[in-house]
Amino acid sequence: MSFFSRTLAILRKDLLAEWRTKERLSPMVFFVLLTLLVFNFSFELGGAALHEIGPGVLWSAFVFASLLGLNRSFVDERENGCLDGLLLAPGDRSAVYMGKMLGNLLFLLAVELISLPFFTLFFNLSPGPFLLPLLGLFLLGSASLASVGTLFAAMSSNMRLRELLLPLLLLPMVMPALISCVEATALVLKGDELARIAPYLQILTVFVVVFTTLSLLLFEHVIEE
Amino acid sequence: MSARLSNLFAALVFLSMIAALGAVFLYVPTERTMGLVQRIFYFHVPAAISAFLAFFIVFVASIQYLRTQEMKWDRLALSAAELGVLFGLIVLITGPIWARPIWGVYWRWEPRLTSMLILFSMYVAYLMVRSYGTSSARTPRLASVLGILAFVNVPLVYYSVNLWAAEQQLHPQKIALEPPMKYTLYICYAAFLLFFLFLLQRRLELEKTADALTDLQQQLSDD
Amino acid sequence: METSDAIAVDRASKRFGTFVALNQVDLHLPAGGVLLLAGPNGAGKSTLLRLLAGIGRPTSGQVRVAGADPNGDPEARSAIGLLSHQTLLYDDLTAHENLLFFARLYNLEKREERVGEALAEAGLAEWRDHRVRNFSRGMKQRLALARATLHQPSILLFDEPFTGLDQVATDALSRHLRRFKEQGRTCILVTHRLDTAADLIDHLAILRRGRIRHQAPWVNGSREELSALYTAHLEEQS
Repeated sequence: MSFFSRTLAILRKDLLAEWRTKERLSPMVFFVLLTLLVFNFSFELGGAALHEIGPGVLWSAFVFASLLGLNRSFVDERENGCLDGLLLAPGDRSAVYMGKMLGNLLFLLAVELISLPFFTLFFNLSPGPFLLPLLGLFLLGSASLASVGTLFAAMSSNMRLRELLLPLLLLPMVMPALISCVEATALVLKGDELARIAPYLQILTVFVVVFTTLSLLLFEHVIEE
Repeated sequence: MSARLSNLFAALVFLSMIAALGAVFLYVPTERTMGLVQRIFYFHVPAAISAFLAFFIVFVASIQYLRTQEMKWDRLALSAAELGVLFGLIVLITGPIWARPIWGVYWRWEPRLTSMLILFSMYVAYLMVRSYGTSSARTPRLASVLGILAFVNVPLVYYSVNLWAAEQQLHPQKIALEPPMKYTLYICYAAFLLFFLFLLQRRLELEKTADALTDLQQQLSDD
Repeated sequence: METSDAIAVDRASKRFGTFVALNQVDLHLPAGGVLLLAGPNGAGKSTLLRLLAGIGRPTSGQVRVAGADPNGDPEARSAIGLLSHQTLLYDDLTAHENLLFFARLYNLEKREERVGEALAEAGLAEWRDHRVRNFSRGMKQRLALARATLHQPSILLFDEPFTGLDQVATDALSRHLRRFKEQGRTCILVTHRLDTAADLIDHLAILRRGRIRHQAPWVNGSREELSALYTAHLEEQS
C-alpha cells in the first residue's frame, strides 16, 4: 500500500507544481493550436477532405504536444538535484514511474479536452453524439503515450540531445497506438458501429497494459546511476 | 573461434553464397507473371527472416544482460541490432525494386513494408541510444530495456498495420511455389542464415577486442 | 569485518564508462561513529556517498549500510539521510509543501505534526507558506537539513554541507552535527572545512583518486594535526 501512497504523493506534487507555475499545460495547448494552424495551411482543410484527415490531424497534434510535456516530467527533477530526493526515498522506485506516468496522463488529457472545442470550431465537426466514445479514445490514447513516453523521458533525460532523442524513441514505438487512435476516431465520427471499432480498442488496451507493466518492471534499470 | 575455424567458416559462407546466386540466376526458371524481377524474392524474403532473427536475438540478449550484467550479452545485443538494421534495410530496398515493375510505383503503404519500416525505425533508435549515451555504464542497461520493448511491440505493429491497411493488400501473401522455386528459396535461406551468423561472429569478435582494449587502457591509467 | 558496523564497504568499485571513480574501496564505521571523508576534488567522495545513500550501485564489491544493501533493499533507505550541497527542494513549492511531500514519500505518520515541528526547529515556522525560491542560501540549507532528518534516520551523510554558508549558518550547522553525534547517529561528513571537522569527528578516511589512502580512528586531534596529516597523504606519490 505504501507504493500507492508514494505514487499519489509524487502525482500530487507534480500537479501542485503545475498549478503554481502553469509551465507545462499552457505551452502544450498553444502548441496543439499552432499545429492545427500549420496543418490547415498545409492541407487546405475544409470540405470533404476534412472527415478523411481530421482524426489524423488531431492525433498528430496531440502526439507532438505530448513530446513537450513528457520531456518536462523528468527534466524538471534535475533542478536542485531533486531526482536524488526521489531515489533516496525507501520503497519500490517504480512508484516514481507510476506517479509520473499518471501525471503525464492527466496533462495529456487536459490538453486534449481543452483542444477539442477548438478542433470542432476550426473544422466544423460535430462530435456531439459521439462525445463519450471520443473521450474514451482520448483516455486510451493518452494512456498509451504516457506509458512508454514516461519511460523514454526518464531514459533520455540523462542523455545528450535529449529533446531530439525522445521523439526518435517514442514515435516508432507508439505507432500501433497512433494508428488505432486515428482509425477508431474516424470510425466514431462516422457513427460506425462498435463491432468495427472493437479491434482498435483491443489494440489500445493491450498496448497500455503491456507497456505499463513492462515499464514498471524495467524502470529501476532506467533510473538508477 | 580459432583463426583456422574462422577461415573455414568464411569459406563455407562464400560457397553457400555462390550456390545461392547460381540457384537464383542459373537454376530456377523465370516466373510466369512477374518475369525476371521476381528473382529478387529469393533475397527479399530471406533478408526479412534474418532481420526477424536478429531482433529476436536482441530481445533475448537484452533480457540476459539485465539479469546477469555480463558484457558478453550486451555485445551480442549490439551486434544483432546492427545486423537487424542492415537486413531490414535490404528488405526495404529490395521491396521497392521488386515493386516498381509490378505495381508501377516504388512504394505503397501496404502492411508488410510499412511494418518493416516501423521496425526498422525502432532499431535505428536503439542504435542511436547507443551512440548518444553519456556514460557507457548506463547505456547497455538503457539499450537492453529498449531491446525488450521493441521486440514486444513487433506483434502489435503487425496487427495494427494489417488492420489499417486491410483494403490495401497489395503484397503477395502466398506465392505458389513450384519445386525448383522451393529449393532455390531453401538454398537462399541457408545461405542468408550462414551469412548472418558469419557477420554476427565477426562483429562480436570485433566488439570483444574493443572491450578488451578499453580494459587494458583502464588498467594502465589506474597506476 | 564486523557485521555490527553501521557502514561496511568492501572492495567497492564504481566505473563510469572508462573512468574509474572508486577503486576497491574498503571502509568501515561502527554505529555512532562520526567519520570525516577527506580528499582533493575529484577523489570520488561524492560518488562514495551516493553509493552509501543507495542512489547508485557499485560496479563491483559490496556496500552495506546498517547491514542492508541501500540500493537493492527498498526499506534500507528509510534509515539513511543525505544532505548535499544541492538542496533537493522544489523551488516552486512552499517550505511546508516540500516537507509534507517528503513526509508522504517516506510514509511517515502524523505528518502535519512532524512537518510543523521540523519547521519550528529549523526556525522557518513563519516562512512555512513562502516559496523556497525566495529563500536565502542559509534558509534553504536549514530546510534541506529538515528534509534530510524528517524521517529520523540513524545514518546521516553530509556532502559538502557548508558550501556557500556564512559564519552564522556554519556555526548553526556545526551545532546540529554535534547534536547528531550526541544522539548516537552515525555520520559521514565530506567537507574541506577542516576547522569545523577536527573536534567533531572520531574517525578519519582520506580518499584520493578513487582509493582509500588512510583510514583510522581520530582521537581528540587538533585542526593543525588534521591538516598536516591530510597534506602528508596528498603529497605521497603512491
